[in-house]
Amino acid sequence: MNVGHRVLIVDDHPSFRATARVLLEAEGFDVVGEAADGASALTEAGRLQPEVVLLDVQLPDIDGFDVAARLTGNADGPVVILVSSRDSSDFGPLVMRSGARGFVPKAELSGDRLTELL
Amino acid sequence: MTGLNRALVVIALAGLLVAAASTALVAASDHVPQRGATIAIGLLIGLSFIGTGLYAWWRRPASRFGAMMTGVGFLNLIGSATAANDPVVFTAGVLLCNLFFVLFAHMVLAYPDGRLEQRWQAWLIAGGYVLAIVGPLPQLLWGFTERMCDGCPESPLFIADNEGVRNAANAAVSLIGVAFVAVILWVLLRRRRAATPPQRRAMAPVLWSGVTILILLAAALGSDAFGIARVTDVLGWLGLIAFASVPYVFLIGLVRTRFARAGAVSELLQRLGEAPGTGDLRCRLSDALGDNSLQLAFWLEDKGKWVDSEGHMVQLPAEGDPARAWTAVELEGRRVGAIVHDVTLTEEPELLRSVAAAAGLAMENERLKAQLHARVEELRASRDRIVEAGTAERRRLERNLHDGAQQRLVALSLTMRLAQANIRKDPAKADAMLTAANEELTLALGELRELARGIHPAVLSDRGLGAALEALAGRAPIAVALDTVPEDRLPEPIEAAAYFVVAEALTNVVKYAHATQATVAVQRQNGHAIVEVADDGIGGADPDRGSGLRGLADRVSALDGRMRLDSPAGAGTRLRAEIPV
Repeated sequence: MNVGHRVLIVDDHPSFRATARVLLEAEGFDVVGEAADGASALTEAGRLQPEVVLLDVQLPDIDGFDVAARLTGNADGPVVILVSSRDSSDFGPLVMRSGARGFVPKAELSGDRLTELL
Repeated sequence: MTGLNRALVVIALAGLLVAAASTALVAASDHVPQRGATIAIGLLIGLSFIGTGLYAWWRRPASRFGAMMTGVGFLNLIGSATAANDPVVFTAGVLLCNLFFVLFAHMVLAYPDGRLEQRWQAWLIAGGYVLAIVGPLPQLLWGFTERMCDGCPESPLFIADNEGVRNAANAAVSLIGVAFVAVILWVLLRRRRAATPPQRRAMAPVLWSGVTILILLAAALGSDAFGIARVTDVLGWLGLIAFASVPYVFLIGLVRTRFARAGAVSELLQRLGEAPGTGDLRCRLSDALGDNSLQLAFWLEDKGKWVDSEGHMVQLPAEGDPARAWTAVELEGRRVGAIVHDVTLTEEPELLRSVAAAAGLAMENERLKAQLHARVEELRASRDRIVEAGTAERRRLERNLHDGAQQRLVALSLTMRLAQANIRKDPAKADAMLTAANEELTLALGELRELARGIHPAVLSDRGLGAALEALAGRAPIAVALDTVPEDRLPEPIEAAAYFVVAEALTNVVKYAHATQATVAVQRQNGHAIVEVADDGIGGADPDRGSGLRGLADRVSALDGRMRLDSPAGAGTRLRAEIPV
């Protein structure tokens, strides 16, 4: 049931991007691209038109919440799932306000968690 | 007798000679009416200007004002050559007799130092001199009116009587003269507006008498241009009387300020004597010197800087500052402070010296207070920096934990999950994943260890400074020789400070010094722990570079210690911290 979900992974840590790619691909997702910061996330999202953006909260340039707000600003924008090695309680209502569909702690990332949110 | 005094005496004698010659000329004149009165007024004006001018010259040799005033007196006396019966001397007299007015205007414009402010003013005055000489020419060429000069000798320059041309030329010259005076008045009043109160007080006698005379002169010239003879005569006499009074107004001004200030200085001495070091010293000095803008600065020998009474650093006015100047205050040959005052007061060096001498002890008391304020200010700043450094350190730790170990553990957790999912269907893949997970775990442990050591090295608490420094030297990427370390344990905060001084210094050596080796020594000397780190690198280290050294200096100064960096270019760097034990 995960087949066909085109995913863009945005995170400044290459080790997380690599592991998340293996994990999601193993569970039937189609990882179409990766980005290491907010600016390239916006460019890549425009270019690759993913259905889902897996977006780290803490990026070196633009905050993940701002990137999420910009990506979800259009009606036909992708679904944004925020991830972080911190807990969602660290961010309070910011997650809901950003327009993201949900939040997954990095250590708990799995295809099933994503599917639940989609 | 100094060279200046001798010259002044010679000039005074010359003045007397010129006065005698002028008296003789007027007395023998066959065309000067009221010779007695003319001689009296001529001598009064000429000698008063020469006498007062010489006095001012003697008092303030650096200013050209006295010389100019003397010059006005001489030119005024020389003007009596118009009384000569000889046609040539008479002609020369007529051509020169107006020069003293221009020199007077020049003097007023250039008050107080005798130098004109702007180039165009020099051109204006030069034009004035030319006008003064050329002005009487129409009368010499085309004949005097009877009123002007009845029975004067005929000038060698005389061409023929031509009333029309003469009157037209006269009117033109008078109008140019009025314009000249108007410009000078405008400059004087503008300057008064821009002056500080002490400057206004200093310029008042010369300014107001100058303005009065110039207005009378302009009115006389104006009425002359329109041929209103009676008005011209009256204004001329009024102008002469005002002119004669100038040296006395100037003298009275000088004496009054000297009296007033001498009184103020003795009052200052008395008040400081009654209650030394209390009350507002600044107000007292500003009363004594008549300068409300006066400020005090105190010298901190150990810091090598000037501060105000609150201990904040201040800059003294530079040499040649057009508005402000300062006078040093010393006590028993030691500099304690400075009086920053209006620049006009530098014309009275004796006054400044006596006020500075009187203020010595009170200034020293104020200086001690200022020093205390400066120290408190410094401590406050250093405390703020320590708090800020603590916050920055926590930020750095959080960031390092987040980016380092935490990321590795996240990756590890995901990898373990993947391995678990694969353990049955693809054991080889699961095995490879567990190997990768193991490597990640080793790296995470290493990073955590490094981080923990940066917070506080356990070996320092457990085994002391020697062992901690040995470990530090062993981890450094260049050769580090550990010279001496005290065998006994030092108090914990001192050991920690010493350790971090060495750690930061070695980090800097590795980063910037291009050194091949470094030496570390810690000794106990005269109740101090002396920490020294030296290298054989390129030197030229800047103590203000980066926050690392600054933070260490604060840490050391929080323990009442001192840190010094000695880093001549090309000769290595030596960092020395002295912490009282």
